[in-house]
Amino acid sequence: MGFRQDFEPLALSELHGFAESRRAEGWRYVQTLAVLTEEGVDLVYSFMKDGHLANSVVSIGRDAVVPSISDLFLAAFVFENEIHDLFGVTVEGIAIDFEGSFYQLANEAPMTILSPEQAAAREKARKVAAAKAAKAAKEAGGASDAPAAEGGLEAKLAAMDPEKAAKVRAAMEAKAKKEAAAKDAELEERLKAMDPEKAAKVRAAMEAKAKRAVSAEEGGE
Amino acid sequence: MGKATVIPFGPQHPVLPEPLHLDLVVEDETVVDCMPQIGFVHRGLEKLVETRDYNQFIYIAERICGICAMGHSLGYAETVEELMGVEVPKRAEYLRVIWHELSRIHSHLLWLGLAADAFGFESMFMHCWRLRERILDIFEKTTGGRVILSVVKVGGVARDIDAGQMSEILATLEGIKSDYGALMRTLLTDSSIKNRTVGVGAIGYDDAVALSMVGPFARASAVNYDVRSFGRGAYGDLADFQPILDNQGDCYARVKVRCLEVLQSIDIIAELAAKMPAGDIAVPVKGSPADGAQASNVLEQPRGECYYYARGNGTKHLDRMRMRTPTSQNLAGMATALKGCDLADVNMIILTIDPCISCTER
Repeated sequence: MGFRQDFEPLALSELHGFAESRRAEGWRYVQTLAVLTEEGVDLVYSFMKDGHLANSVVSIGRDAVVPSISDLFLAAFVFENEIHDLFGVTVEGIAIDFEGSFYQLANEAPMTILSPEQAAAREKARKVAAAKAAKAAKEAGGASDAPAAEGGLEAKLAAMDPEKAAKVRAAMEAKAKKEAAAKDAELEERLKAMDPEKAAKVRAAMEAKAKRAVSAEEGGE
Repeated sequence: MGKATVIPFGPQHPVLPEPLHLDLVVEDETVVDCMPQIGFVHRGLEKLVETRDYNQFIYIAERICGICAMGHSLGYAETVEELMGVEVPKRAEYLRVIWHELSRIHSHLLWLGLAADAFGFESMFMHCWRLRERILDIFEKTTGGRVILSVVKVGGVARDIDAGQMSEILATLEGIKSDYGALMRTLLTDSSIKNRTVGVGAIGYDDAVALSMVGPFARASAVNYDVRSFGRGAYGDLADFQPILDNQGDCYARVKVRCLEVLQSIDIIAELAAKMPAGDIAVPVKGSPADGAQASNVLEQPRGECYYYARGNGTKHLDRMRMRTPTSQNLAGMATALKGCDLADVNMIILTIDPCISCTER
């Protein structure tokens, strides 16, 4: 007997009827679990027959009411009480309903609480994935947007009256210098607020970085 | 008929060192209804997967339960490998199964000892645990740990068993076999044991199927279901694997199935040791599971089928890791088996189901 598994989506309205047909066809009930998602919760119902592990994924919102299948499979009462206590999912008509006291917990629905570190890690992963996708798209697309914009500015300046163009250039440089100076001032202020020992360390690190950048440039040339 | 009375059983009870509470509704000496209650040791281990990377979590997975430690690390590793599409070397698969079957022997011997203790056969308890100690010695020699082995990792195993160690293991198992044969004869033929177990807490085939029971509890009711018979991993290379079944469904049948499974496990280890292929014991695993990727897995633990589920989110941390242990699947069966039994048989019935509540609550 071989083994295979699959995942299929299932609508919440079809859940009870689906479980009924599985029971009639002689499938064995394996388990129910919940996964926290951005929009709500995914419930995974698993059934097994002849080595085929079939998982049905029911995506629900935060305030959805889920019908119990413990009238068909009594073993489901454990998992339905569990997803109620840990994920805050409302399950209606559980054969043995503990009404929220199945687990003795300090927090309500602890599996839905995301720590700030966890949320930050997920945000970072999302950004990295987006950057990777953008890079891939850029490589696939050939010409990119940013250099085109710069090129556009240069073309505009070239088309202008040379005196005016020089003025614009000078203004842009002055603006860049001013911004850099403001940044330096801000940094200086922050360093002053810091513990002197730490500030010294930060300064040394910055100098080293600048030196490295210069030497890299020289090496490059 | 007398008046119905509720007797609380557990969570601290001399017969069962597990935090399981039962409200037993009794009329005279007969249990007419039973309400199981768990939830005293929920540790939130599944939640920890969010703050540990997928390689670190294996050490938490095996701390879910002290008896099925090897099984949980194996089930978890297989699920992550499925999630990431990692192919494990053949030798690692063999080594994993050998350790897993050794832990089945140790779990069943521990259980037989506890069962003997429950029906007041204390010397049998000592003898079973004496044999179990030799299995723990094998663990200590081959992995360095007696209970928490930390030998499975994502992509293979951390240690090899060389030919010398393997022949030592086989010699030890051969030695255990003869001692164990004598114990088993007593367990299965002694009249005082039969008085406590035959016809007690019987569950028929139809009920066992309807209640989705798993493991030796189901196999004692003639349910032909054992994950090992799917032939995954090294189990696929066994010449012949037939689950051990009984059709009585009572406490005696459950004792018998577990007794015979110990011998079956010894045979599996001997066969795999003879067929052991050479080669690597692990492959390097790099990268992270893809965002939204999901995988499930089943594994035959000593107590029955255990279900694992994992979902990735593109980082080294998983979004969700879930273990559905055999005991949580068998709670409904346990409550049904207790209905109609004598109050004095409650401990025997619960023990022959071999519940593990810390596994169940995680």
